[in-house]
Amino acid sequence: MASNTPVIVRFYRFQNKLKEKTAGLAPGNASISVEALEAAQEALSKMSEDYPDWVSSIIMKLQEQHGRCVDTPEMRRDCFEEINHMAHDMKGQGGTFGYPLITSFADSLYGFTTSVAGEISDSQVELIKAHLDAMRAVIRGRVSGDGGEIGLKLTESLGAAIESYEAE
Amino acid sequence: MSDYDFDRVNILLAEDSQFIRSLLVNSLKVLGVGNVYPVEHGGDAITFLQRVKNEPMKIGVQNIDIVISNWDMHPIDGMMFLRWVRRHKDSPNRFVPFVMITSYTEPERIKQAREMGISDILAKPFTIKNIGEKLVSIIERPRQFVHTSEFFGPDRRRQKLEIKGAERRLLTDKSEGVEVIRG
Repeated sequence: MASNTPVIVRFYRFQNKLKEKTAGLAPGNASISVEALEAAQEALSKMSEDYPDWVSSIIMKLQEQHGRCVDTPEMRRDCFEEINHMAHDMKGQGGTFGYPLITSFADSLYGFTTSVAGEISDSQVELIKAHLDAMRAVIRGRVSGDGGEIGLKLTESLGAAIESYEAE
Repeated sequence: MSDYDFDRVNILLAEDSQFIRSLLVNSLKVLGVGNVYPVEHGGDAITFLQRVKNEPMKIGVQNIDIVISNWDMHPIDGMMFLRWVRRHKDSPNRFVPFVMITSYTEPERIKQAREMGISDILAKPFTIKNIGEKLVSIIERPRQFVHTSEFFGPDRRRQKLEIKGAERRLLTDKSEGVEVIRG
């Protein structure tokens, strides 16, 4: 560029190397075959069967953190942070694997442990346990979907625990 | 119509949840992706890309074709990782397609990611079909990169819309101050 005008905008236009790499140079459209998609979806569903085990392992880790909150009150803030991260991890995919209740309880746990102000009280620690109990019941009973009556009961009893905490 | 051959495609995957990570690795493998390099968070992803740049022979990876990253990770999240990829001088490829995975799909968050230069969003919960569509979109509809004083990333205009009324955009490829780089 010979002019002294400063560059206002630069456009970068590259050859589509990724297309060459995946679809070759021959013209025409490529696609992902229906068979490949089905096989992948099947693999995903197969893995979904492991979802309850994965959740159980996280509930155990959450349980450990809860134990630390009870035993070492001075560590509560750190524990809450750990719990907050794990809850976030859980809430993302519950729906995908047919356990929306896990997502909903994890979401509640996540919200409840996000930016807790001041000292963390015993009843706040108790409320962690209420969440863990509810999640454990879901997994133990393989309560998928909205869980019908059992699901409603679990949601209600967790709701009641939260309410009584908030009333304090 | 033939099928894509993903065998030579290298994908870097940053996802902190071990469960989701192995889920994605398996899904991509079954779709035929030749190489998936999983890491646990943005910090590890940056270290990996630095090695791709500095010692490709040693780690046996010459380049990464697509980055897929979770947004919410600790200690380095997807946005910080994306910023590094797009802006840092050590980044091996500032133009690499970058797909952000997130369960937060509020317009504000999406806009924030777009301003930072994401190529696409994969919303949680995802299906295989979603993943396949993202791959196809990245391959078939790459966008030019735009660099201004305020923005660097894939063109935020995906469509060429007919404009009613007068053309008020001042710059064309031929305008002064516009530089087109081809490669």
